[in-house]
Amino acid sequence: MAYVITEACIGTKNTACVTACPVDCIYDAGDHFIINPAECIDCSMCMPECPVEAIYPGDEVPEYLQEYATKAAEFDYSGIAPGVEIN
Amino acid sequence: MTDLKQRSLEEVKGLSVEEAVEIMRQAGIVGAGGGGFPTYFKYMKPLPHLLVNATESEPGYWGDKLVHKEHLEEFLQLFEAMKTIFDFEQITLAVHEKDRKWYADYQEHADGVFDVRYVPDTYALGEEKTLVKHATETKVPRFVDNPDGTRRPGMPPDVGKIVNNTETLLNVYNALFLGKPLTTKFFTVYGEEVDTKVYEVPIGASVSEVLGIAGLDVENSGHLTVLDGGPYLHDMAIAQLGTGDAYVRRMTNSLFVIAEGRQGKEYAEIETECPEEGIVSLVGEISGVNVPLGGGLLTPATPLVSEGDEVEYEQMIGEPVDQGFSVGVWASLGGEISSLENGIVAISGGAIAQEEAEAEAEPTMAGGAQPRGEGEPFQEAGSSRGNG
Repeated sequence: MAYVITEACIGTKNTACVTACPVDCIYDAGDHFIINPAECIDCSMCMPECPVEAIYPGDEVPEYLQEYATKAAEFDYSGIAPGVEIN
Repeated sequence: MTDLKQRSLEEVKGLSVEEAVEIMRQAGIVGAGGGGFPTYFKYMKPLPHLLVNATESEPGYWGDKLVHKEHLEEFLQLFEAMKTIFDFEQITLAVHEKDRKWYADYQEHADGVFDVRYVPDTYALGEEKTLVKHATETKVPRFVDNPDGTRRPGMPPDVGKIVNNTETLLNVYNALFLGKPLTTKFFTVYGEEVDTKVYEVPIGASVSEVLGIAGLDVENSGHLTVLDGGPYLHDMAIAQLGTGDAYVRRMTNSLFVIAEGRQGKEYAEIETECPEEGIVSLVGEISGVNVPLGGGLLTPATPLVSEGDEVEYEQMIGEPVDQGFSVGVWASLGGEISSLENGIVAISGGAIAQEEAEAEAEPTMAGGAQPRGEGEPFQEAGSSRGNG
């Protein structure tokens, strides 16, 4: 049951979660960061790092934010590298 | 009545909460699981439920499992005493499903003083909030409000739980029953070119020296990297073995040897055999130690020794202070205080030449950094690993 990054990340995209993740499973999905559930090991290290409390355990995502869990499950992670893109 | 001395079960059960907490503080016990949080603080305010975290999760580890296997009687006595002292409603040993057989002896003795609960075999159960969720009916809140209006991440005490790891509790046993302070750390040595071993090592020992004892040709192993931790969560101990050194910390759970240039997580599928000989003690086998008086969450203890002093093994060398979190510090080696700088007490045991001991203590890390020790906490060794 992977962790899920939700709405509050939009417009924030603080990178603390990316730094905290020991398995580099957090990707840049454009508007917000996104956790690849196939790679997340459920360690929870990202959750307390988020300054806007955008990250939930997979089984605790509120109903109105479920679309973010669905998006993370269906997202195409091929072709992008985890972490923060350096321009 | 808070001296470190031998006590019978009845004497330990007769300790007050305040006395037991003070013994833990004086003995220098901090969370051995990785967080390094001072143990005494968790017990100052009695809570209903103690969870013993026996779910070491990094692939390849054996330390906690061997500690439980070799110290069943000690844990049974400790659970009985803790239940009386702290008036716990419940003490729970939390074990991975896959380790059911390994902990069968504990299940047999689970007769009301404590129970054994089995949790899924996922990595995350080493993390204390996740453990609470799976081993109890309770969830630690994601965040809680502070009285001043700020918010902080939730912690097990918010829902009446104390979580301690296996080795931390053995150290509590040692302090309450045997009067022994914290001077050693149990950890697994494994990975490339070494046989898997579990050692009990004096805190502050040289990582290079331990790996030499484990059979590595340290001087000719620049192709190897040593991690303090496992495949997933770790800190860099020595980037190129043979160049620079690091110290064994109070929260070192493994020295994991990997090929230089590779990443720890590439080894996530590693499987190791439990070492047949069990835990091997290196007490008395180490030539010198660098013992930190504080570091991490700890305010440095006040040193009780000076350079040139002779100290005995398990002699108190640092007294806890009243500011912040602070614990007693004890000599993990008998010998001469060869230096006392930057909050680190260096003790030379005389087993190797003084020059060599000093060279090992020199800041020779690549990039000119200090050798890694608790005086300079690792970036990843934060509270998020606080399952100790």
